[in-house]
Amino acid sequence: MIRRLWLRVRGIAHPGASERDMQDEMRQHIDRATERLMARGLSQREASAEAAREFGNMGAIQEEARDARGSRFVSELGQDVRYGLRVLAKKPTFTIVAVLTLALGVGANTAIFSIVNAVLLRSLPYRDPDGLVRIFFNEPGVGLRDIRFSKPELDDLETGAGVFEDVSPILEGSEIVSGAGQPERVEGVNSSFSYFSMLGVTPQIGRLFGPRDFVPGFAPTLVISDALWRRAYGADPNVVGRTLRLDNDPYTIIGVLPREFRHPGPTVSGDVEVFGAGGFSGEPFPKPLRSTRVLVSAIGRLKPGLTAEQAQVRLTAFANQIRHDFPGDYPPQAQWTIEIQPLQETLVGNVRPMLLVLLGAVTLIVVIVSLNIANLLLARATGRQQEMAVRLSLGASRGRVVRQMLTESMLLSLIGGAAGVATAVGTLHFMLRFVPSSVPRLNEVGVDWVVLTFALLMSILTGLLFGLVPAFHSANAALSSAMREGGRGSGYSTKTGRLRDVLIVSELAFAVILMIGAGLLLRTLRELLMENPGFNPTQVVAANMQLPNPNDPKTDPYLDIPRRATFDRELLRRMKAIPGVELAGITSALPSTNTNPNAVGGIANEGFAIEDRPVESSQDLRAERIRISPDYFTVLRASLVRGRAFTEDDEDGKPLVAIIDESTAQKYWPTSDPLGRRVRFGRDATKPWTTIVGVVKDIKSDGLDIDGVPHIYVSLYQDNSKRLSVVLRTSLPATLLEPQIRHEILSLDPGLPIFNVSSMNAVLDRSLASRRFSAELVGGFAGLAALVSAIGIYGLLAYMAGQRSREIGIRMALGARREDILRMFLRKGVALAGVGLVAGLVVSASTASVMASLLYGVRPHDPAVFLIVPLLLFAIAVLASYLPARRATEVDLISAFREG
Amino acid sequence: MSRDNPSLFPGTLELIVLQLLSAEPTNGYDLSLRIQAISRDVLNVNAGSLYPALYRLENKGLITAEWTQTAAGRRAKTYSLTGRGRRQLVEQRESWQRFAGALVAILRVS
Repeated sequence: MIRRLWLRVRGIAHPGASERDMQDEMRQHIDRATERLMARGLSQREASAEAAREFGNMGAIQEEARDARGSRFVSELGQDVRYGLRVLAKKPTFTIVAVLTLALGVGANTAIFSIVNAVLLRSLPYRDPDGLVRIFFNEPGVGLRDIRFSKPELDDLETGAGVFEDVSPILEGSEIVSGAGQPERVEGVNSSFSYFSMLGVTPQIGRLFGPRDFVPGFAPTLVISDALWRRAYGADPNVVGRTLRLDNDPYTIIGVLPREFRHPGPTVSGDVEVFGAGGFSGEPFPKPLRSTRVLVSAIGRLKPGLTAEQAQVRLTAFANQIRHDFPGDYPPQAQWTIEIQPLQETLVGNVRPMLLVLLGAVTLIVVIVSLNIANLLLARATGRQQEMAVRLSLGASRGRVVRQMLTESMLLSLIGGAAGVATAVGTLHFMLRFVPSSVPRLNEVGVDWVVLTFALLMSILTGLLFGLVPAFHSANAALSSAMREGGRGSGYSTKTGRLRDVLIVSELAFAVILMIGAGLLLRTLRELLMENPGFNPTQVVAANMQLPNPNDPKTDPYLDIPRRATFDRELLRRMKAIPGVELAGITSALPSTNTNPNAVGGIANEGFAIEDRPVESSQDLRAERIRISPDYFTVLRASLVRGRAFTEDDEDGKPLVAIIDESTAQKYWPTSDPLGRRVRFGRDATKPWTTIVGVVKDIKSDGLDIDGVPHIYVSLYQDNSKRLSVVLRTSLPATLLEPQIRHEILSLDPGLPIFNVSSMNAVLDRSLASRRFSAELVGGFAGLAALVSAIGIYGLLAYMAGQRSREIGIRMALGARREDILRMFLRKGVALAGVGLVAGLVVSASTASVMASLLYGVRPHDPAVFLIVPLLLFAIAVLASYLPARRATEVDLISAFREG
Repeated sequence: MSRDNPSLFPGTLELIVLQLLSAEPTNGYDLSLRIQAISRDVLNVNAGSLYPALYRLENKGLITAEWTQTAAGRRAKTYSLTGRGRRQLVEQRESWQRFAGALVAILRVS
């Protein structure tokens, strides 16, 4: 046994040694036979010839002997690889085309997969990430999800529910960093003191929050991100203990986070850079009453060994208990309840459909490319039948020939794959710039062993896909026909022909699927670009601002509505004074930028009551409240359909007024006139009523692809917030205006940053970035697919024309006209295209609904797409058939016969 | 295995090789001469069957080979039986004799 193993090992380690052994032994056999024959009187030449004849087919015997010894596979592999490389090098055009298309396919696949791997597949980069959940509070009875909650409700979860090891509220928002140079706006998060230990983070410098930092309000300490540490402190190792001013409040830095740490949640824009902590129960927080719901989101860690499903069951029961215990705080019809979702799901769930569609598209591309190469190989295999026949008759087994062919295609696919991976690795960084920033976890994207394994598997699979069929086919065909048919195939052999037809048809079918998908996405994009946003975005420049939110109210110059109104008025006066600005307005929510409604100042669904309607029915009245200045609608050229716009007189102390949009009017006053009706925000019955004075056409406030959310606009001078956007009507570009806007704001208050100064068109465009990205990428792939299949059809017919030149010659000699020949070939191309198109359409029609969530304004079975795509591809197929068909009619009769 | 000698039953050549090697270790060429001589040219075992058979047996660990000097003073690859080969020979010989006996009996009856 050991000896056998040794023999094999030696055979593998030194294939040359045992090979030489065998050669020696057989040569000696022949030598001795020769000597014996010479002794019988034969001449040296006769004797050695006779001895060789007696010995038999040396090549075949050696093959069989190698097989018997078991070392054959390894030695042959090397042989096959060398031979394969020679064959590939001999046909450089074919090899280059194949390798390039494969590199493109595998490269695109690797790149997209590396994103999918980092975003969807890999666990979140925290300690024991499966236990992390996001906590939602819902009122399904009134159709509300993710509502705000109070500190006592959160405490209940930690102490009473029995499923959480830890919970932390998350307060996301922008902070103004001031002190050195221009004020800067950064993203911030405030959480409980256990936030970092829950996530399992260790700092690179200093320490993180712990129980000893506890204060009921905000802790005066701060943890900063690696990026801020480098940017603001030049990576100073002695940063701990230094003071950073956020919204005018001084904080002491206690630690710096590791470079790869990211806050596990959505942000207003960019990564979170400052991390504060607080008790959420003392100043500046309101008294922790059950009904004071000011907290917006929370994460938690489940107790070990508890699955999310088990925890959910207990939480539902727990919520029922709380509702029962505090009936005054939970109206029964709202059905208040608690929901948890794996943190990973809440982070990446919304980009999953897009990424999977992209992965599907690149996979289709690889399949189409493979089919095309299979076709090319099959054509070549037919040309190589003679070679195969010679090999078979010289003693190669059928399996050996198949293996040889497969080695060639594997070589091709591995070279192509390696080129593809190299391209992907080299360009990944560059390509990531085009991925919309709304895709989370992009910082984790990279080529790791999972991605490399995927790429390798992909290459091997493609190699098998395009190598297997031609290999088996040619081995079989060679056995039966090659020697007989001789140097030149006498016709388009039916069996090869049918196989190639099948390949072309499936190639076209896959191309149809890809093109239908691309068509749907591109139509969605077009719909959205054509969508009337309810205003005219051209010649409008917008800039965002945030007023500071210091913890001590005494230091807040923008504490109440009148003070903010004064600021707003002065801001507008200065903006209007900038040369080139015709008109200026302010809004609390710029259209299409509502990325994170949970952030501080983000617009959220608010409950309101309508006068003269029963309180019970007002439970489900919800609308987004937007604060605007009098000229806002004029700046945006939004049209007021009824009533009046706000005026400078709609200010504090005067009767409260509101303007609603048509969706709101439609929803809450479907049959009556809303003008003059009164509404009241919140549940506090002592607050004054607000009178509706106007109705405006819907403005797409939450994004072009979000419809029918009711909005109520209120006057900025009566109700305002600290987050605001300035909109300017001007013919100047944003870049030209930015310094002047900045100058005016800084001279108003040197501590105020502005950010995202851009044209309104650019704002709208940004809101479509993710859709544009996927539509254009899939569209590009679809174009590629159409091109590759056109090449496939062209190649097939051109090959057929070459093979059948003699037949064509005979037909023409017998009186066939050129048109007949042309028609014959066109018919072939059209028939193939027709079958492929129908097959592709059938598959598309039955699977298109998986894309429904990515579409807007277009149905998954959009008739236009399902009509235009096949027509387009059909036209391409006809053109691709016409060119070789015309060449076929130009057959030179004389040479066709002479060669035949 | 017996591409040029279809009358040879499967496994027969291996048995012959084992039997001859049990008498004395020898090389491939002499083995082929000996088979021819003993079987009085009935069994014409050519190289095409012999060498693969030898390698197969070696691979199974029934025989082993080493390069030695022959009496004529030349280098030759000499095969000899291993312990396992010897046991295998005894088994195969018995089963072959049972088979041949049965066959002879049947042929005599009809």
